[in-house]
Amino acid sequence: MNDKLQLPNLDYAALSPMLILFGVACIGVLVEGFVPRRIRHGVQLSLSLLGLVAALVMVIRQGSKDDVVTAQTAVAIDGPGLFLSAAIIVLGIVSLLLIGERSLETGGAFVAQAAVTANTDADRDQAARTTGATEVFPLTMFALAGMLLFCTANDLLVMFVALEVFSLPLYLLCALARRRRLLSQEAALKYFLLGSFASAFFLFGIALIYGYAGQVDFKAIDTAIQNSANDDILLYVGLAMLAIGLLFKAAAVPFHVWTPDVYQGAPTPVTALMAACTKVAAFGGLLRLVYVGFHRTEWELQQVLGTVAVITMLVGAILAVTQTDIKRLLAYSSIANAGYLLLGVLSVSERGLSSSMFYLVAYGFTVLAAFAVVTLVRDADGEATHLSRWAGLGRRSPLYASLFTFILLAFAGLPLTSGFTAKFGIFAAAIDAGQTWLVIAGVVSSAILAFPYLRVVVMMWLSEPGETTPAVSIPGAMTAAALVIGTVATLVLGVAPSVLIEATEHAGIFVSK
Amino acid sequence: MSLAPYVPILGLFALAAGFALFSVAAAPFVGPRRFNKAKLDAYECGIEPTPQPVGGGRFPVKFYLTAMLFIVFDIEIIFLYPWAVNFGMLGVFGFVEMVLFIVTVFVAFAYVWRRGGLDWD
Amino acid sequence: MNLSLELLAAAGDVKGGEAATFWILAPIAVLGALGMVWARNAVHSALFLVISMLCLGVFYVLQAGPFIGMVQIIVYTGAIMMLFLFVLMLVGRDSSDSLIETLRGQRMVAILLGVGLSLLMGIALYRALGDSDPKGLTEANAAGNVTGLARLIFTKYVYVFEVTSALLITAAVGAMILAHIQKSPEEKISQPERMLKRFLPGNYPAPKPGPGVFSTSDSVATPARLPDGTPSDRSISKILPTRELTSADVAPKGTEK
Repeated sequence: MNDKLQLPNLDYAALSPMLILFGVACIGVLVEGFVPRRIRHGVQLSLSLLGLVAALVMVIRQGSKDDVVTAQTAVAIDGPGLFLSAAIIVLGIVSLLLIGERSLETGGAFVAQAAVTANTDADRDQAARTTGATEVFPLTMFALAGMLLFCTANDLLVMFVALEVFSLPLYLLCALARRRRLLSQEAALKYFLLGSFASAFFLFGIALIYGYAGQVDFKAIDTAIQNSANDDILLYVGLAMLAIGLLFKAAAVPFHVWTPDVYQGAPTPVTALMAACTKVAAFGGLLRLVYVGFHRTEWELQQVLGTVAVITMLVGAILAVTQTDIKRLLAYSSIANAGYLLLGVLSVSERGLSSSMFYLVAYGFTVLAAFAVVTLVRDADGEATHLSRWAGLGRRSPLYASLFTFILLAFAGLPLTSGFTAKFGIFAAAIDAGQTWLVIAGVVSSAILAFPYLRVVVMMWLSEPGETTPAVSIPGAMTAAALVIGTVATLVLGVAPSVLIEATEHAGIFVSK
Repeated sequence: MSLAPYVPILGLFALAAGFALFSVAAAPFVGPRRFNKAKLDAYECGIEPTPQPVGGGRFPVKFYLTAMLFIVFDIEIIFLYPWAVNFGMLGVFGFVEMVLFIVTVFVAFAYVWRRGGLDWD
Repeated sequence: MNLSLELLAAAGDVKGGEAATFWILAPIAVLGALGMVWARNAVHSALFLVISMLCLGVFYVLQAGPFIGMVQIIVYTGAIMMLFLFVLMLVGRDSSDSLIETLRGQRMVAILLGVGLSLLMGIALYRALGDSDPKGLTEANAAGNVTGLARLIFTKYVYVFEVTSALLITAAVGAMILAHIQKSPEEKISQPERMLKRFLPGNYPAPKPGPGVFSTSDSVATPARLPDGTPSDRSISKILPTRELTSADVAPKGTEK
């Protein structure tokens, strides 16, 4: 009874990026309580950016060290884990620039007091005059820290806690739009209900896998798959449940139905955060789960996930054609991209891993730039997201129309953009792994998906500007920076991708301890 | 597992149920029975029964906030329990970790307090 | 004696008190769950859920997890059900779900898919668990259930345990953001201001007439009469419908007997 505890060894240096982010988030919550409202925004913004940069430095410093599995077997800080952490932090910095922007609209993109009933006089008054809630900064930091943990979790239970830590702030952030608040609240409610449902599936899956393997860490599961006497049905049902939870976050068909509504309803900077960072986290978790824990079920996985990937690519592409709202269009495009990423997951090879990580980063930068432009095209009622409003934008403001055209071409996967290199890498990895039928589906869906992108391009350049075509606002410094970073990264990763490709290959493989 | 430790609880349940049943069953036999219309009415402090409020009497949203905060600290206490029971085994390490946990949750408390979440009006 | 019972349980032979408790409570738990789904009144639904949760709590205790059983009863049936009831009262207990389908045939499809999934899961688990070899919790509970838990929480999962506090902070911040309206300092009325306002000309500083004063009935829904005989609307709560008493209501009720 009174025997002493074997103390866990915690490698604080390896955990420091997460610890910094959690710490900054806690300080941010205290700032909300104790710092006067006037200077809160500045304090929060600089605090969050500093925290992210410090976390990035710690990730890079850890990069030169050996792989670490710390807190017994709970957290694995390995090459891919560090790469994904760095990707989430960098994309997080860019999203934070969008979140912190206040010059486009009085008080920023967020509502001041979300508890005020929407569409009342008090609400109209606060929309016109008061500055937005600054709780968004600590919430974003909590979400990013949770994402880091999700990518480095070496244990299903840790993964579940991380899933909740990064989901809960995102549900909240979705509800905080300054304009069209009912839409935003509806989006948050949908995301929350479906998200908790997916979490429940994930948890059920953990229980079944525990029943099968008797353990919940990936290494033990892998060992159990090799020599467990238990019935394999338990394993497959459990794995299916886990996959439902993860594919929900990754927005793969048929678990995608929340995506368009949430992307449309959420404040655009939050949509950008979800499209870039959540995608990295969800696929980071999925990659580790498949590569470390379940790679011995590769054959069965490829049948099921392959089908999901094909449906995801095709449904995303076909439904994107019918969209009339730019945010919904980008949402369906994000669904189709989840399908391409699944190809990388399914390859279950070193090449599949490195090409998936490249794709995540490339797509993240492009989608951030795309949503940065969406925040700029606005009129007196806020963002003009209906596609008909974008007609003739090329005449009104050629610079931003050109930038957006370039971004759309990158989405379509034209050469000299990051979209091409990324897709090429992932398709090549899939062919290596003998998944030719998936690649064929991928190419077909890319061809379909090019149509809606080109339709927007044609609309911007070849239509006459109508009376309702809004002007493009002059971006504030932060949106401009986000836009430039996103676009330049898209270009550089298309023209000279070798630096990042080397980094992804240098990251090596997931540690299995 | 052995259910022996729970037998006293079961006994207590049985005793409580028996007492309740006995009281209800015995009342008609031992009490006087003089009914009138007022006695058969719904009991509302002796005044005329009041109709249901419109909309079923809705509560203000403040109650939700209070309930949510209660749950947050309730869960904190759940974590305290295994720590407290094994204080000797967990030693200084456990103490430090628990203090860290409590301080972190206290951040939420400080925020709620400063923002007026604890004021009723 | 205890050891032999435990060994029997580990071998999958559920006997005696455990089996009896299970077979008594399992139907109650299922009925509670069905009642929760089928009850028209939201408050009844919530109370059915309480029954289900209490039964589950006992099941956990039965399966050698006393800690999780108590947590189930304290946190779920205690705190979370209280939150449920508050939210129901927030929405109004008379408001019911709209039963109009926005997507045609959605309910049918949902029922079919739900039943299908449960059947699939049920059959798969029945087959998978048919010949498995349950270990039981004897080994994990060797030093006591709570001690075993503490050992895990403070070693392998100590980091995750600390991270859980982030979840709790997020929950508190979220509740504040979504439910709390912060009053600006100028909106707060101080006591002197309140008093001044009360005694300003045009206001009525005396207490409101109580219900039933000078009236024919003592119901709080019957307006009081002012000295000149007119009914005073100020005397009844705004949320109560005004009620004229029928002659049956005011007739003597035979209490003098």
